[in-house]
Amino acid sequence: MLCKLAWGNVRRAGRDYLVYLLTLTLGVTVFYAFNTISMQVDIAGIKEEGLSELMGGMLGYLTYFLAGVMAFLMVYANNFIMKRRKKEFGLYQVLGMGRGRVATIMAFETVIVSVGAFVAGIMLGVGLSQLMTFFTASLFKTQIADFHFFFSMHAFNLTLACMLVMFVLTLLLNLRAVRRTKLIELMGAERRNESIKTRNPWIAIAIFAVGVVLVGVAYYRLLRDGFPLTATDSKLQEAMSQFGITTAMVTVGTFALFWGLSGMLIKLLQSLRSVYWRGLNMFTVRQLSAKVNTVCFSMGVIAMILFLAITSVTCGMSIANVMNENLERYTPADMSQTYIYYASDRLDYYKEYVNPSEADRMVLADATVDLYSAWHGDPWHGDRKGKSADNNDETGKKVNIADVAGEHVQIDSYLSYPLGGSDPSVTPSEMCKAMGEKLPKAFGGSNADTMGLFVTPASQYNKLRQMMGEEPVHIGHDQYLLTCDMGGELVDLYTKYMAGGHALTFGGHTLKPATDKSDEDAAAIANSAMGSNPGTVVVADELLSQLNLQPYSSSLLVNYKQGMDTTEADESIKYTVLDNLLVDGKEPGSWGTFITRSEMYVQAAQMNGLISYLAIYIGFVLVVACAAILSIQQLSNVADGSRSYRVLAQIGCDDRQIRHSVMAQQAVFFLFPLAVGLAHSFVALKVIIELVSIFGNMSIGGTVGLTCAIFLAAYGGYFLVTYLMSTGMVQAAIATRYSD
Amino acid sequence: MQTTQTATPVLEVAHLEKVYGALGNVTRALNDVSFTVNRGEFVGIMGASGSGKSTLLNCVSTIDSATSGTIRINGQDVTRMKQAKLSQFRREELGFIFQDSNLLDTLTARENIALPLTIARTNSAEISTRVQDVAARLSISQVLDKYPYQMSGGQQQRVAAARALVTDPTMIMADEPTGALDSKSARLLLESLEALNRRLRATVLMVTHDSFAASYTSRVLFIRDGKIFTELRRGDTDRREFFDRIMEVVAMMGGEGSDAL
Repeated sequence: MLCKLAWGNVRRAGRDYLVYLLTLTLGVTVFYAFNTISMQVDIAGIKEEGLSELMGGMLGYLTYFLAGVMAFLMVYANNFIMKRRKKEFGLYQVLGMGRGRVATIMAFETVIVSVGAFVAGIMLGVGLSQLMTFFTASLFKTQIADFHFFFSMHAFNLTLACMLVMFVLTLLLNLRAVRRTKLIELMGAERRNESIKTRNPWIAIAIFAVGVVLVGVAYYRLLRDGFPLTATDSKLQEAMSQFGITTAMVTVGTFALFWGLSGMLIKLLQSLRSVYWRGLNMFTVRQLSAKVNTVCFSMGVIAMILFLAITSVTCGMSIANVMNENLERYTPADMSQTYIYYASDRLDYYKEYVNPSEADRMVLADATVDLYSAWHGDPWHGDRKGKSADNNDETGKKVNIADVAGEHVQIDSYLSYPLGGSDPSVTPSEMCKAMGEKLPKAFGGSNADTMGLFVTPASQYNKLRQMMGEEPVHIGHDQYLLTCDMGGELVDLYTKYMAGGHALTFGGHTLKPATDKSDEDAAAIANSAMGSNPGTVVVADELLSQLNLQPYSSSLLVNYKQGMDTTEADESIKYTVLDNLLVDGKEPGSWGTFITRSEMYVQAAQMNGLISYLAIYIGFVLVVACAAILSIQQLSNVADGSRSYRVLAQIGCDDRQIRHSVMAQQAVFFLFPLAVGLAHSFVALKVIIELVSIFGNMSIGGTVGLTCAIFLAAYGGYFLVTYLMSTGMVQAAIATRYSD
Repeated sequence: MQTTQTATPVLEVAHLEKVYGALGNVTRALNDVSFTVNRGEFVGIMGASGSGKSTLLNCVSTIDSATSGTIRINGQDVTRMKQAKLSQFRREELGFIFQDSNLLDTLTARENIALPLTIARTNSAEISTRVQDVAARLSISQVLDKYPYQMSGGQQQRVAAARALVTDPTMIMADEPTGALDSKSARLLLESLEALNRRLRATVLMVTHDSFAASYTSRVLFIRDGKIFTELRRGDTDRREFFDRIMEVVAMMGGEGSDAL
C-alpha cells in the first residue's frame, strides 16, 4: 500500500523528480565511465608500464573528488524535491498518518528514483565508456587494435557503493527534515505573498562597487606581481602572503559583486524610466532581484568554480600543447647525454652534505671534458644494468658508443665569467637595461638571470647546425650570436637586442651582433621536454679560449649510424650506467640526463594525453555540476513563480513576452557567473602564460579552443534544456484552469 | 434598472455550453446559457460550489474555451479568436479581480498596478499619471510603494482592483473578490466597485456566492447545474431590500442554497 502510494507520487510529481533523476543519472554515468579509465587504457593499446599506475594513483584521488561533487549535487537536488513536497508530507500527517509511515513512503520514493537513476546511469555509463575508449586512444596517440565491448565490474561496484552511501545520506537528511519540521510549516510551505527580502538599494550599490573595486585591484595586483612561483627564496614568504591577499580580495570581491548585483540592476534600470516601465522589464528585474538575493552565494561559488575549471583546463592543455608542438625542436638528436660541472658556489655544499666520502675527489673544472671519447674507450666504460628486475644483470656488457653513433657533436656551455669568478657579464637584466625595457616577468629572480647567459664556441654551434641540416653561420672574432629554444618573450628579447645592434662586453672585448635575429632552430643543446637553452651567446673559438671562462655543462648529441634501427640502437645503450669521469684522478662534475628522441616522443604523447585527459575530465565534471545546480535553481524558481505567470497571462500578457522574460531571467543566472569566471580566468591565464613562457612558447588555441567549445556547448545545452523545460512549466501553469 | 442607461449590450452570451472529460465520464458544466449585459451594468452571478459560475466567468474572460455557443464582447466573438489576439483582447477590453488578490509578490503596489499598461507599451509618463489617478480613486495612494506582503488583505484587493481599472477596460471581471476578506474590508471593496459603476459607468461582472456581496449589484443571475435558474433586478429598491429578495431566491434554490451563504 505504502509502496503503491510512493510509486503514484513519483509518477505524479514526475516533473520535480525528473530534475533529481537527471542529476542522479548524470552523476552515475560520469562516475562509472571515469572509473573504467584503466580498462580503456588497456583496450586503447597503451602499454607503457608505469602509466597505468600513475593514472591509477591520480584517479584514486580524483574519484574521491568526483564523489564529493556528486554528493553535493545530490543533496542539492534532494533539497529541491523536499521543498516541493513538504506540503504533501504535511497533509499525510494531518490525515493521521504516523511520521514513521510518512518516512517509509519517502524512503520508497527515494528508492524508486535512485534505482531508476542507477540503472539508467550504468547503462549510459557503459555506452559512454565504450565511446571514451576512442577518445582515450586519440589523446594518447595510439591505435585500437582489438576493440571489444567491455564492462568493468570494479567500476560498477565502486559506483554502487558510492550510490548506497549517498542514498543513506539523503535518506537520513530527509528523515531529519520530516522529524524536525513542524506540521504548520509543512502545510504552510506554499504560503501566499512570499515576503521579499529587500535590501537598501544604495547599500547594495555600495557593496557592488566595493566588489568591482576589490576584483579590479586584485586583477591589477596579479598582473603586477604575478604568481609567487618566480620569487626567490628570501622573498617567497612575502610573495606568498601578498598572493594570499590578492586571492582573498578576488574571492570577497566576487561574492560582493553578486550580493550587490540585484540592487544595482534595479537602480540602474529604474533610472532608465522608459526601459523600466516597458513590457515585462520591471517584472523581470524584480523577479531577478528577489532570486538573486537568495542565491547570490551560490552564484559566487559557481563563478569561482567556473574560473578554476576554465583556468586549469586551458592551462593544462596549453602546457601539453607546448610540449607537443615544440617536440621536434626540443629533440635535436637521436640521443643526448649531459654532463654538469661542479659550480664553485655549490662545491662546498656538495662536499659537506651530499657526498662527503668522495669530497676529496671533487674539483672545480678548469676545462671541459670530451664526452664522446669518455664513453668510447678505456677507462670509460658503461655497465649494462637493467632498470627492470629481469634485466638486473651485474656482469653486464660494455657498451661502446661508437657501435651506434653516426654524426655527433658536443656542445660546451660556459658561464659568462672567468674561472673562479662569480659575476656574470651577460644577464637578461643588463640587456633589458641597455634597451631601456622592463625585464619580462618570467625572468624575475630566476636562474636565467642570476647565472647569466651561457657561452658556447662557434665551431660546436656550427657543427650542430650542420647535423641538423642548416647552413653554418660565420661568427667573426668581434661578433656574437644569441640562441634560445624556449620561444616567446625570451627569443623576442634576444632578437630585439641583436636587431638593435646592441653590443656585449666580455673581458674588455666588445662584440657586435653577427645577425639580426636570435636563432631558435638549432638552439636546443640536449633532448628535453620543455627546452634546454634559456639563452646562449655563441662566440668565435679563439675568443672563447682567450676569455678562459668557467665551464658549466657539456652535452653530447648523437645521431645513430645511417640505416641503423632506432629501437635497436635505443635498446643497446638505454640501460648504460656511466662511471664517474675522472681527470687526473679528480672528478670535475657529474653525469646529467640521458634521453633518446623516441623516449621523448613517447613521454610527450603520454604526458599530453594524461594532462589533457584529466584537465578535460575535471573541467567537464565541474562545468556540468555548475550547470546542473543552476538548472535546478532555475526550475525551482519557475515552479515557485508559476502563479505569477498565470496572473500575467490573465491580465493579457502574451506568451512571447512571458517567454522573453523567462529567457532574460535565466540568461542572467547562467551568463553572469560565466562572464565573471571568464574574466577571472582571462587575467589569471595572462599571468600564467607570461610565467610559463620561460619553458616554451605557450599559446592558447587548437585543442584548447575545441575543449572550451565543448564545455560551453555543455553549459549552453543545460541553459537551453532549462529554458525549454521552464517554458513548458510556464505553459502548463497558464493552462491550468483555476477550479470552481 | 437605471432608466438613464442606453441599452447597448457589452456582453452577449448565447447558447453557451462547456463539457469536461470525455467518453462516458462527461461533466456538463454549462448547459445552454444565454444572457446579455448592457454597458454600465453591475451584474452578479450567484450559485453554489460546482454550479458552473466560475466556468462561466472563465469562458467569458477568455481564459477557458467554450465547447459550443458564442460569446460577444463589444460585438467581437471571443470564441473564434486566435491565441495571440486573445491576449491583446484581454489586455485591452477586460480587467480582472480575483478571490486571492493575485498580486505579484516581487512587485510594489505601484508596479503591480502599472503592469497592464507596461505590457501594452504605454509611455512611462502616462503610466505614472494613470496609476496615481486610479490609486487616488481607490484610496490606496499611501501604499503605492509597499510590497503585497506589507499590505492588509483589503489593501491588496483594492490594489488588484486598481490594476483591473487602470486600462479603462470595457468590462471588469471579478471572481469572488470578497472571498478572502473580513466583512469591513469586503464592504469597502464593494462600495468602491459600486462607486466605479455609478460614477464612471464601468461595466462589472462579479461572480460570488455571498448574498451580501450580490446585494451591491444592479442585477443578479442565479446559476444551478450549469443553467440559468432565475434572474433578479434591483430596480429602485434599496440595498437591504434587494438583499432580502436575494436571500429568498437562495432559499428557494434549495439545500445547496444554504451553504452558498
